[in-house]
Amino acid sequence: MFEAALEGLVGVLQPEAFTFMCLGVLIGSLVGFLPGVGGPSTLAIMLPFVMTMKDPLLVIALLVGMDAVGNTASAFTSILISVPGSTGSQATILDGHPMAKNGEGARALSASFVASLLGGIFGALVLFASLPMLRPLVLSFSSPEFFILTLWGVTMVGILSGNAPVKGLLGGILGVFISTVGLDAKSGVERFAFDISYFWEGIDLVLVALGIFAIPEVIDLAGRKGTIAKAEEFGRGYVQGIIDVFQNWWLLLRTSIIGVWVGFLPGLGSSVADWFAYAHAVQTEKNRENFGKGDVRGVIASEGCNNAKEGGDYIPTLAFGIPGGTSSALVLTAFIAVGIKPGPDMLTSQLNLTFAVIWTLVIANIIATAICMIFAKPIAKICFMPFYAIVPPVVAFVFIGAFAANFHSYDLLGLMAFSTLGFFMRRYGWPRAPLVLGMVLGDKMELYLWLSYTRYGLEWLTRPMVIVLILLLIASIVYPILTSRARAAGRSIAEA
Amino acid sequence: MVRGKEQIFFTAFIGLVIIGALFVATDWPVRASIIILLLGGVGVILTGIQLAMDYKAIRTEGSQITRPTFEVQAIEHQGRWGSLEIWAWLWGLFFAIHLIGFPIALPVFVLLYVKLYGGSWLTAIILTAVTGSFLYGIYDYFLSVPWPKPWLAYFF
Repeated sequence: MFEAALEGLVGVLQPEAFTFMCLGVLIGSLVGFLPGVGGPSTLAIMLPFVMTMKDPLLVIALLVGMDAVGNTASAFTSILISVPGSTGSQATILDGHPMAKNGEGARALSASFVASLLGGIFGALVLFASLPMLRPLVLSFSSPEFFILTLWGVTMVGILSGNAPVKGLLGGILGVFISTVGLDAKSGVERFAFDISYFWEGIDLVLVALGIFAIPEVIDLAGRKGTIAKAEEFGRGYVQGIIDVFQNWWLLLRTSIIGVWVGFLPGLGSSVADWFAYAHAVQTEKNRENFGKGDVRGVIASEGCNNAKEGGDYIPTLAFGIPGGTSSALVLTAFIAVGIKPGPDMLTSQLNLTFAVIWTLVIANIIATAICMIFAKPIAKICFMPFYAIVPPVVAFVFIGAFAANFHSYDLLGLMAFSTLGFFMRRYGWPRAPLVLGMVLGDKMELYLWLSYTRYGLEWLTRPMVIVLILLLIASIVYPILTSRARAAGRSIAEA
Repeated sequence: MVRGKEQIFFTAFIGLVIIGALFVATDWPVRASIIILLLGGVGVILTGIQLAMDYKAIRTEGSQITRPTFEVQAIEHQGRWGSLEIWAWLWGLFFAIHLIGFPIALPVFVLLYVKLYGGSWLTAIILTAVTGSFLYGIYDYFLSVPWPKPWLAYFF
């Protein structure tokens, strides 16, 4: 294991990989502090590029570097203009923006950067520590267990990615259906291709991701006309913010654990992690009367947690090939395209690549924090870019990326079709992550189901581990529904 | 109430897609249809439940739509033309790409968009140059992307 760790470190520190990592960190940070341009949208835009790369280390350096730091830079807009740069920094607004209003913007920013750094490193360490435990577990699984796990992944994301569980599950099913389009190599059947040769190769995930995520965000940004609120002053207390984090180390540790746990569970993304952490801080800390009015502990809790989540997110992604959310689903797609095989191989023959992911998480967080700390003032000014400077380049990149997926002019038509679907899904409150996850896992799910059926008939349903996993799956469906019903009942009693 | 009805139409559309997929898959061998039949059956039941929930929501809460808590907020119409304005830009770009080709359509789109929404000439030129150099530098020069032949090229 030590050799693999060293190999991973040497790999990501090679000049080419390191340059790609820095590029990923820059893009991730830029995306982070530009409200309206989400991490998944940018990852989707990057997919056509990375799929042309041959070296898996470069892909890891670029995409993991980008994914790891999105939440670090998003604190700029959350604190200074009360607009979250990413979904993971929503709770930061609650105390960060009041601090900026009180003239302590610099203190809030430095506290958030240092908390993000330490949270991110903690997440990577947990990923590292989990490897010896995961290896025997993953190697004991065969197709029936993996089928239930893939089903569980889609179900969890469907149930938990919104308060619309039925819509989420339907989105997941739709995603699996889209993944089946094309010529089925095993049976030779043409599925949902309707005699159109373009469909024989299947529908490219790049098109779906760009259409479902990038265009609806652009529509939203263009529709809002980018009227960003007046900026608060940069303020004072830059060094004090750093000291605050170390004075509240116990809070940071607890909220980082929450972040890792939320990341580990499929379906719960950074958009919920920061709220969990913030709620935990408010419930457990002493002298809580200042929360919501500009308490630095609110910033530390939220920012430490949302970066720690990334390490937790990569545990199921790498070990089981089951991504925890949209970003990791897109990263997983790129991994598979360049020959990285998530699953047991990542803990055996490709262990060096797993360590490359861990090292990238650590180093990318250090680089992002350094950039944010050193260039805080000039970066803060970029946050105020108007919508007309963001929308056209993003649209241009989306169209180029869609065409570059297959170099086919039908790709653009496909982009417009999935953009329309994404727009309506967002308009009517349908979570979009389950659709993408269903598409990513659809092939595997089908393969594992078929292998289980042909090898064991229906007896695979009686395997002990399968029974345990099915019970967990049922519990994960029933528990959120029961708790939401109990909450609703409680609310109506309170109103009465 | 109109939004609530739209919601029901969208759910019904998803349901029809699933039912259509199930119907088509019944002609295939088990190897090709197993996952469609398994999940499609569940999908039909879930669509029924969702339709009932949408209908109930219209009856009890008027046109209100339940939004996912952990998703971004649902898009609302803004301004006089709402989302139609940006959709017009997107479709305009789509047809311009087919008509005059990627290398001309994209820089022109960027320049026009920035200028028409009040950007300065400097901003417009810088962004157009960045888009153009990205297009020619990365895609044309390094990746040698075969741009599709524009329709106008067939006439001239």
